[in-house]
Amino acid sequence: MSSPTSSHASFGARHREFLVVGVLLALLTVVFPVLNAYGVISNFTLTLWGKYLCYALLGLSVDLLWGYTGLLSLGQALFFSLGGYMLGMHLMLLIGPLGSYAKAGQNPAGLPDFMVFLGHTFLPPFWRPFNSFGFAAVMVFVLPGLLALIFGFLAFRSRIKGVYFSILTQALTYASMILFFRNDLTMGGNNGFTDFKFILGHSLDDKITGPATMRGLFVVSSVVLLLVCLFCHWLNGTKFGLVRQAIRDGENRVLFSGYATAHYKLFIFVVAAMIAAIGGALFVPQAGIINPDQMSPAKSIEAVVWVAVGGRGTIIGPIIGAIGINALRSWATHAYPDSWLIILGAIFLVVVLFLPGGVVSLPAKLTSLWRRRSPAPSAPAVAVTKPAPDRA
Amino acid sequence: MLLLSRLPKLLRSLLLAVLLPVPVLHAADTPRQTIVKAILTADDNQKRELITSLVGQGDEAIRELFTAWRQDNLYVYTAPDGTKIPVELSGDKDASGALTATRVDTGEPLKDAAGQPLHLVAAKQAAVEHDARLRLAMKNVVDLLDLGSPLLAKRLRAIQTIGAAQKPDKLPALLARSALETDSKAKAALREAIAVIELADPSDDVKLKGLTELRDLHASASYDLIKTARAKGEADAKPAIVKAADTALAAIDQHKSVVNFFGTLFRGLSAGSILLVVALGLAITFGLMGVINMAHGEMITVGAYATYITQKVFGEGMQFTLPFVKIAVHLPGLHLTGWAYQLYFVAAIPIGFLSAALVGIALERSVIRFLYRRPLESLLATWGVSLILQQLFKLTFGSNNVNVDSPVYLSSNWTVYDVTFDWNRVFVIGFAVVIVFGVWLALTKTPLGLLIRCVMQNRTMASCMGVRTERVNMLTFGLGSGLAGLAGVFVTQLGTVGPSMGQEYIVDSFMTVVVGGVGSIFGTVVSALGIGMADQSLQQILLNPVMGKILVLVAIILFLQWRPTGLFAAKSRSLD
Amino acid sequence: MSHPILSVEDVSKTYDGFKAITDLTFYLFPGELRTVIGPNGAGKSTFFDLITGRARPDKGKIEFGASTAPSQDLTKLNEYEINRLGIGRKFQTPSVFVEHSVWHNLVLSLKGSRGVFASLFHRLSSTERDRIDELLKLIRLDGKRDWKAGLLAHGEKQWLEIGMLLAQDPKVLLVDEPAAGMSDEETHRTGELLLSLAGKHSLVVIEHDMTFVRQIARDNPVTVLHQGHVLCEGKFDEVQANPMVREVYLGRGKHGTR
Repeated sequence: MSSPTSSHASFGARHREFLVVGVLLALLTVVFPVLNAYGVISNFTLTLWGKYLCYALLGLSVDLLWGYTGLLSLGQALFFSLGGYMLGMHLMLLIGPLGSYAKAGQNPAGLPDFMVFLGHTFLPPFWRPFNSFGFAAVMVFVLPGLLALIFGFLAFRSRIKGVYFSILTQALTYASMILFFRNDLTMGGNNGFTDFKFILGHSLDDKITGPATMRGLFVVSSVVLLLVCLFCHWLNGTKFGLVRQAIRDGENRVLFSGYATAHYKLFIFVVAAMIAAIGGALFVPQAGIINPDQMSPAKSIEAVVWVAVGGRGTIIGPIIGAIGINALRSWATHAYPDSWLIILGAIFLVVVLFLPGGVVSLPAKLTSLWRRRSPAPSAPAVAVTKPAPDRA
Repeated sequence: MLLLSRLPKLLRSLLLAVLLPVPVLHAADTPRQTIVKAILTADDNQKRELITSLVGQGDEAIRELFTAWRQDNLYVYTAPDGTKIPVELSGDKDASGALTATRVDTGEPLKDAAGQPLHLVAAKQAAVEHDARLRLAMKNVVDLLDLGSPLLAKRLRAIQTIGAAQKPDKLPALLARSALETDSKAKAALREAIAVIELADPSDDVKLKGLTELRDLHASASYDLIKTARAKGEADAKPAIVKAADTALAAIDQHKSVVNFFGTLFRGLSAGSILLVVALGLAITFGLMGVINMAHGEMITVGAYATYITQKVFGEGMQFTLPFVKIAVHLPGLHLTGWAYQLYFVAAIPIGFLSAALVGIALERSVIRFLYRRPLESLLATWGVSLILQQLFKLTFGSNNVNVDSPVYLSSNWTVYDVTFDWNRVFVIGFAVVIVFGVWLALTKTPLGLLIRCVMQNRTMASCMGVRTERVNMLTFGLGSGLAGLAGVFVTQLGTVGPSMGQEYIVDSFMTVVVGGVGSIFGTVVSALGIGMADQSLQQILLNPVMGKILVLVAIILFLQWRPTGLFAAKSRSLD
Repeated sequence: MSHPILSVEDVSKTYDGFKAITDLTFYLFPGELRTVIGPNGAGKSTFFDLITGRARPDKGKIEFGASTAPSQDLTKLNEYEINRLGIGRKFQTPSVFVEHSVWHNLVLSLKGSRGVFASLFHRLSSTERDRIDELLKLIRLDGKRDWKAGLLAHGEKQWLEIGMLLAQDPKVLLVDEPAAGMSDEETHRTGELLLSLAGKHSLVVIEHDMTFVRQIARDNPVTVLHQGHVLCEGKFDEVQANPMVREVYLGRGKHGTR
């Protein structure tokens, strides 16, 4: 697969890109909550941007696989949702005693309402540990990571790659979605989890104290995103990054150089699943809902759209894509409700056909267009900057 | 006196022997005429015999007249010429207190010599009497009335109800009905009901006879009753009965499993056939051309809506507005009825194929031709197309499912040996065979097929050899999309038709092609049937469609462990 | 003779009915430089595929045995495991990491741990950097160390791949047509290089270029493959004189041509 990641090959540009991302995110972390506290940015907008940041994490997880390793996973929304469900379970247990059944005295065990509705009288054993926030937080990583480990092990062991991998991940997502739609899984069926009220003792829906919690969640999301970007940046500079890119460009050659490519792919698949999962876990308290629709194959592909539009194989691309497309959605679903899906589809078509490098590649493209017009012959495009001697 | 009083009884018995075959001898008598006789005769016993002779008849008039009799609404009118005519008085009283009179023998209004309907005052007529024994006789007849109902379903229900009650006194009625019954299903039901009643008989021999009969009938509906009989036999320490019951239960179990097996096989085959038609198109666009067309599902939708429109045009016509351009399209209806209308489905087959093929060609020309060397990008771009098309369908035809009628020739079924074969499913299987054969012919025996295979193997080389690869690409993609359209035509008979219907099939059909081995039409056929079978069998075993589906997907993932390139994959020696 | 480092016994391989390799038996001894020649379709590349785990034989035994350790059954191992045992391969068409710089190509190939976690925290030691510099000089790509490998000329890619092979420091080198696309002078230098490696390493070289073959096989054995099995083995001159070889291969006028 050919990929236009010229910026990636350039070490200086690599650092420059990260610097831009870091500064922007740091600014976001500080400026948004402050402006919100002073009423310049509405609570709604702040929460909306908080969700965008979570989507950016999902986008980065797609990019780690697709952009950097050449694995087009159509199942990242599954890991995102699983992460959300794990935290959601904890949040649901907090509101059971406040639900309508409990108020009517029909819920002595303090179960989440949907369980009472389904006729449960006691908490299913696997729910019990989720009373602890710590356990739920650990599970946010463990469950999606474990699923990715098992699935990835099977897929990479038998050398399933390219579109086969995409189709298989899509099937996994689809199977999981229909599983989560079932009531007897006791994960809320098609309604999922909603009506959360508290997180770690802070109110999520109170008029007075709620916005402060949301500011907190925004800051956490932003910082997590920054850390993940830092991690991606670091990974790019390691020998692992070199192997990963080599796998993307020609996996067989890597195998014949003695690298167990399956292990590398498995590692990055599990890491990406966990990044998506933490995005989901942060998303749930901010969105106030998680249901099986979130893990539909279409959601996964949409995350791929963000990455493609922003620019794959870069760190800033998925962030631009996730925020840009979702901001566009927020606007277009109100302004042109009938046309939104058509707009989304068209954007995707245009990017794939005419701008394979995404928005990020636009400046370079324009520059080269401008240079082609200018009479002065440009420097040969082959020059690549020196590798850092201390690295790789 | 003693003797005298006994004599009539003897006579009566004799008479009874003669009279029993009355309904047979006087076959010409309608139930109404029999009732008239029963009313007019003075002999109570004869009255009862006549009433009882109606057992096994199914005329609804019997119920009506007996009800009238028991409610004291029957009277005997003596005509001016002295003839006694039994009538039913009903309706509202007129000024003179008279009621409408209906003749019992014909059900027609009673008329005078001038032909005017007669109204009678109840008190002036001779009421038809009834006592407890007569009422019981009538109740018996009415209870068994449904046994003789002209409607098969009603008859079957009555037979089963009577059998399940296990009342030995109903046995003669069932036997009488067996003699009259002509329908094979009802006959079998009667045998079963009789055997079930025999189970409750105190005599062991009769019980054994019943059990043998039930064994021979594979009477699965009587499974629990046999179990009860077995438990009773066990309690009474009668090993012969327990053994016979066990044999009968085993026979029924075996029959059930055979029926389930063939039923599952058939449903699996038909589910596999749908999957096959859907996946065959994909096997061409994905397998041969290497294009991941995520909008393949929408080609199915195009075929389905084309069927819908065809049906409307054959009927009353339809109107819709094209979104964005706001052009109202009015399709005048042909207003066909009967068989001509039913033929809409036949017409929809080529229409569905062509419309999907045209959309496919448009898609190939506008998007896919730029992406032949980038399979992952073709996946993403066509997903965008899929979104756009779904939204356009929604805006044009509404977001709700539309209803496509089943033509009569697809909406019935055959039952062979308790296995139901729906015609629409039979048709789908047959058509899948035809399509597979057609595609095989097209790819191997036609010049276009040769060109397709040559371009798919090496686009550049084919182009250098002077093959117009652009055209071949376009036609191949059209063929693949057209096949999806055909699948859409069939899906209208088996599933729902809505703007997002294509999404239901896309995951399954991609899996089918992958399991079969990309590039192998034969592999697709095998894997479609295999997945269809596995899906249906697992549903049968787990009694849970969702878990069945999940298991199939897991099985596919495990299968790919064993054969990562599918069942029949083309091998390559190049490095990447 | 000592224990063979690589032994291939009675190996067959069929592709969809086409017999690529039939009952092939072949031994490579430590320090040997073996040249394999044969007409197109003789099964030379398949032979390498079987050794390196790219293809599995239908029957037969392929074993790798350094004299000190118990021999390893290569038919049970996969590509990277075989590579880690010390069998390196240069492909017929140059196969380098085209999106990586020349320097990074060598970094990826350098002998050392191949594990995931090691790769995360790997730092180049000064010895390793010196080794890469040395190799860059040897393959004469010192001045293009920061070039993207995909932008190199065909011959340069060949050299880079040879350099990558050397960086792995394998016990056995399988070299498929190293001279293709090189100038006469470069070809000669490649020959010198391969000759200098013999002794310390064991080599199997597939080549079509007879001048080159004569250069490297002067004192070394040559194996002639024909229709999937060994036609004859021996010194270059003996092979050249063999009438069967002349008929199937040299007789076709390829003798001495370039």
